[in-house]
Amino acid sequence: MNKSKLLLIPLALTLVFAIKPYYGGEICIRLNEPTSFNLNTANYSNLIFYSLIYENFFYLKKDGEISSNVFQDYRYDAGSRTLTLSVKDHLSFSNGKPLTARNIQVSLKIFMDLDLFAASKLSKIIKNVRVSNSQVLIELLNDNPDILSLLTAPELVVLAENEQSFSGLFYPQEWEKNNHLTLKANPFYAGGRAYLDTVKVTFGESPQPDLFLSSPKQFKENFREFDSGIYQNIYLCFLQSDIGQNTKIALFTLLKRFNEALGFKYRELRTLTADEESPVSIQIKTLSPQKTFSILKSSDIKLYILASLSDLEKDLDAYLKSNNLKIEMQFIDDSQFMGFLNSADIKYVLIDKIFQKKTPVEEKISRILKESSFNRFNARYLRMLGELDEVKFSNSQELVIEQIARISEAIVNDGFIFPLFQKNYSLYIRKAWPAMEIDFYGRPLLQKTGKNND
Amino acid sequence: MKKVICPLLLLFLYQAAAFGQQNAEALVAESAAFLSTFFKNRYDIRVAVVRFENDSELSDTAMQKIYQMLVSRLENEKNIHVSDLLLNFTAGQGEFNLSRVNDLQFLLNLKLIQNKSKTGLGLTVFSRLQDKIVAVKYFEKNLSPGEMEYLNTRDFAFSELGFSKLLEFESKKNLMDIRSIPEGDGQEQYFFYYPDEIVVYLASETRLEKFSQFKLEWTRPLYPVLHYEGRLLLFYLKQALVLTAGNNFSPSAQVLTWRDGQWQELPKIDFVPFQFLLLNQNPYLVGARYEEGKNYFKDKIYFLPFADLADRSGAYEKKAYPAMALDFSVQDGQLQAMHVIDRNYTYHLLTSEFEEKSPLPEKKGASLAASGGQWLAVSDYTRTSDQLFFYDIRDGGQKLVYTGKVSGEIQFLAAGVWQKTMGFWVGIRQRQDDQERFVVQFWGKHDE
Repeated sequence: MNKSKLLLIPLALTLVFAIKPYYGGEICIRLNEPTSFNLNTANYSNLIFYSLIYENFFYLKKDGEISSNVFQDYRYDAGSRTLTLSVKDHLSFSNGKPLTARNIQVSLKIFMDLDLFAASKLSKIIKNVRVSNSQVLIELLNDNPDILSLLTAPELVVLAENEQSFSGLFYPQEWEKNNHLTLKANPFYAGGRAYLDTVKVTFGESPQPDLFLSSPKQFKENFREFDSGIYQNIYLCFLQSDIGQNTKIALFTLLKRFNEALGFKYRELRTLTADEESPVSIQIKTLSPQKTFSILKSSDIKLYILASLSDLEKDLDAYLKSNNLKIEMQFIDDSQFMGFLNSADIKYVLIDKIFQKKTPVEEKISRILKESSFNRFNARYLRMLGELDEVKFSNSQELVIEQIARISEAIVNDGFIFPLFQKNYSLYIRKAWPAMEIDFYGRPLLQKTGKNND
Repeated sequence: MKKVICPLLLLFLYQAAAFGQQNAEALVAESAAFLSTFFKNRYDIRVAVVRFENDSELSDTAMQKIYQMLVSRLENEKNIHVSDLLLNFTAGQGEFNLSRVNDLQFLLNLKLIQNKSKTGLGLTVFSRLQDKIVAVKYFEKNLSPGEMEYLNTRDFAFSELGFSKLLEFESKKNLMDIRSIPEGDGQEQYFFYYPDEIVVYLASETRLEKFSQFKLEWTRPLYPVLHYEGRLLLFYLKQALVLTAGNNFSPSAQVLTWRDGQWQELPKIDFVPFQFLLLNQNPYLVGARYEEGKNYFKDKIYFLPFADLADRSGAYEKKAYPAMALDFSVQDGQLQAMHVIDRNYTYHLLTSEFEEKSPLPEKKGASLAASGGQWLAVSDYTRTSDQLFFYDIRDGGQKLVYTGKVSGEIQFLAAGVWQKTMGFWVGIRQRQDDQERFVVQFWGKHDE
């Protein structure tokens, strides 16, 4: 080995460290404006935002490693089918109020009541959740050593009784609507406070953010690009059974033409999950422009759109006006959406779902069926999900694919959900901010992000 | 106290003893021997090098080493009092503090010369009283390219004359501080401060043996941290051993005293005590407060009268800098100076009146510790490497005298004693292949 090689080794080792790291500074992140501080991780932007103010029970790294800042110890005992979580001593929420095992118990129960695939999966296997001093004991119905991985769901976070206290790395300090939101470092953060003092979440183009989401391969200079590992699907849903087929197709055609008019800003989606992984391609024949407009002009359509898709509003409104179409748009908060489901007023909804690319396709299909069939969910779907579970254990990929195709076909034939678009994201961060990682769910981990002290 | 002596698995790694500077040392030895002979029959000679020029191939770093070797040798002469006036070496020239020349009897002028393959050292002795040059001498040695390269390298520790690593062992993670205090029989007890406990060791020849340990209970509010930092202080008050332990995750420092064979809790203090010293003949605890959960101190220094364990009235504070690190030079219980590394990693020296001493050449650092009023150790602040700088702070200066490379990231520096040698404890975080370990080193100066 020559001399220059010998010198390189110690240098490479020491470069990893920041010597006496600098605390302070502000990072500017561009995200969609949230509707409230109530947890809602329906889209990628929200997934990031709420990860800043709410602490997850467990984190899942890209390499599969599971870690926790809240628990000093966690162990599963197969004999008693119990997972014991020991909460660290003297933890506090952002306002200094104690964070105890009781908060963990309540947070877990709230999560299990959510209408999410991961939540229902967990609630099916948990028998009870008890608290003993600083420990939370989760007793399972059957032995399941994989219980910990189910607790890494990004929606499973530590909630306080008081809405104004937060468990995350930061807490909200100031919110100027339609402009920005300021988050301050939580001095009581369970994992050790962040180097940064402030995160400024902006909702517009300026100032130039340090961290933002955008289409892949857009920014090369001054920014590092991270593959988020996720995609966001947008679907058109019909919540009432009395909607005519022509109206459905006309609305679908309108939205497809809207994307065309935008120069295909969104990637076309022809499957329920992703075109490259689905065994079934959905071809919905669109109507001519004349027929589309004719149908829609004679219909009284009120299109509900989840607030997480609010960035569509400006373009869609302009498009409708340019075509003299009177379709009323109503944005509703994701967290309030489930409460509206039984209302006869809601017929047409635009929803989105985010998926991790690595998640098996059968799990994504199950999620769509469970979370997006709304009040159409029935015994037939339940049976199909049961069959999917069974074939998963058959070790036959062919059988799994066949069952996925069967479910997709049933969903499409029932006509309550039409796939529209897919958005792919990269996460960009200015090169001046080193030491940032992203987790399995594509969320930036800002705890160790700080100014370079060189 | 029940003695529970458990062997501690320590890895002792003494520094390599052999350095390749024999000819340079010989050059210096001959020069020193000449001066020793020259001053042989005189007493209380006050002398200093006031000029040092370099016309050789050697670097400023090498000049500094040669200078230090010469000064160290002269310091060993009983009849010679050497004043170390060197401020810095730049561009082949030494910079000296000439404001104190009037106190001296003899001035030395040195010059390094390259003579073909040999390196020469020219030495001129000037008598201030006679106002003339009284001796001129020239020494020459063949310095090989290897030796030259060695002298020119910065990571040099003087094995015999300067600070060097005397001890190294691995510790449990998150060690925050090490302090020691002699027991009644004179044996030194070493207190290792971890976030949740203090472990006490006794020195046994070249090893540390675990003697006892006790848990530290911290109460809410607690500020979880990414980097644990803390400071221990040990002192005797009215024959009772008192221990204070402050840190960056609790706003209160614990105060314990050893009574009736056990540690007893005293009321907490709302700052981190650094020193127990005398101010106007009254004993005080002096310290600072961390920014909660962070790795730096707020901008105030706190003074708490501590003549009595119960009476704490009369506390006051003084404004200083927000500090990445700070320490106090104390001699004979009296405050001499305060050393600060500010939030921009810049070093400041404050007098005992808390006035900044200026102007000083800009100096950067991360951690620091002062050993009495004699030595100051500072760690580097850059990302690419870490190293120790030892400054001579006697005579109120801050002259860089020795440097030593350290593998890893220095977490803390603490003045201490090991086997009767004064020096500094260094806590280092090392990481390799995703494995992290915590290493403790002791750097000492053999002749002190």
